[in-house]
Amino acid sequence: MPDKIFLHDYKTGKRYSYNQLLADLNALSNLERYCYKQDLYTIFLTIIAANLHQIALVLLDADFSYEELQKFQINATMLAEKEHVVPPSINSVDELVGRLIVNKDWELTLFTSGTTGLPKSVTHTFKSLTRAVRISSRHAGDVWGFAYNPTHIAGLQVFYQALLNGNTLINLFSAARHTVLDFITSFQITNISATPTFYRLLFPLTELYPSVKRLTSGGEKFDGALSEKLLDFFPNAKLRNIYASTEAGTMLEGVGDIFVLNDENCYRIVENELYVHRSLLGKGDTTSLEDDEWYPTGDLVELIQEDPKKFRFLQRKNEMINVGGYKVNPLEVEENICIHHAVKQAYVYGKPNILLGNIIIADIVSDAGITEKELRDFLQSRLQPYKIPRIMNFVSFIELTRSGKLKRT
Amino acid sequence: MQPILEKLLEIVNTVRDNKGLSKLSDLKPDQDLRTDLGFDSLDLAELTVRIEKEHGIDIFADGFVLTVSDILAKLAK
Repeated sequence: MPDKIFLHDYKTGKRYSYNQLLADLNALSNLERYCYKQDLYTIFLTIIAANLHQIALVLLDADFSYEELQKFQINATMLAEKEHVVPPSINSVDELVGRLIVNKDWELTLFTSGTTGLPKSVTHTFKSLTRAVRISSRHAGDVWGFAYNPTHIAGLQVFYQALLNGNTLINLFSAARHTVLDFITSFQITNISATPTFYRLLFPLTELYPSVKRLTSGGEKFDGALSEKLLDFFPNAKLRNIYASTEAGTMLEGVGDIFVLNDENCYRIVENELYVHRSLLGKGDTTSLEDDEWYPTGDLVELIQEDPKKFRFLQRKNEMINVGGYKVNPLEVEENICIHHAVKQAYVYGKPNILLGNIIIADIVSDAGITEKELRDFLQSRLQPYKIPRIMNFVSFIELTRSGKLKRT
Repeated sequence: MQPILEKLLEIVNTVRDNKGLSKLSDLKPDQDLRTDLGFDSLDLAELTVRIEKEHGIDIFADGFVLTVSDILAKLAK
């Protein structure tokens, strides 16, 4: 294969070819067990090397604080641990792909918002991680806009879809609007998978982007009006809506906001909540399993047709707040705010917002005269940026329910 | 400075201060909210909530705003 681009990263201005990737893989003899990195190419290289050598890897968000890592019981010694391996000598992308896909039981662990206030780990095998990946000559020419966090499930699935087909990846994650639009044209991007928030922030659009064949939307509630507006500017694109979770990876593909429940051995609906069979799940440290067979997703659905069953998603059963595709647990945020000595009580909730779906708000009771800025600075070292309340209201009391819990609406 | 621009400058500076950026002494109509003011999507959402609190107008409600003058146009309606 000629020197095809593996990755272009606007953040560093660097471009890596597949030949460069193979050379770097062939030179690696010490592998980390924890990936805690900023640079996108280094993250991808670390994942591929671990997959290739079948060394279980734990993926950590680059913006996790040391306090958060301590809670996961990960320390500096563990981060520095390395495993010695015999450098491979891989000559082609086909050979690389062939050697990756046989390691079906290789394990990758990632973290997701837990329901108890602490992010929880989920361990996937190569098999569960790539369940939705399609390898085919039809995909050989795909050029992917990479618009997700690389250490989260959606990003990993786009990464594997592209890598296993030898495609080019163009980093668009957190890129400025004009950079995204320039790159779609200059790299002739054919596929983008992103949250509705990502697409919303591309507007106003003025030009056409005919190179794009597929726009995938996921991670947040489907936005029908947005989808129609997108098609005006991406005239050759097909839209699809994906339902996925960190626990199970990609599960269902919808037409608009309607999903078909096609396999009752894998999915079922009980009292309007979607359940997933355990065979689809990664191993979780705190995954709750009712009857040890079925996992409640916490997503409430509305059944709109029997036989075949069709449904649409309504809302979350639990209190997770979706901020631009990131799930935030208000309990975790409240817990961290209350660590500050000047705070007596805190109540964290989401306010609907047209840009991000929701924005995090905190009502705070304090009698020590703390400012919003001071509290934000304090939280900066403890929480990832998207979890920090953007508006803090200082109030004299917070209403409790009869059982003494914070009143949630 | 017009009172409405002054109020907007104050809100912009609150958002900048919260994220550790220096306060601005002036706002120009052609300034881009993302590239010139340094706002990411979370900052833009915060900005909309603070403007809505002050003026009762959701600036992103009907279409998208890119620059300072886009916001002023929405507030003038």
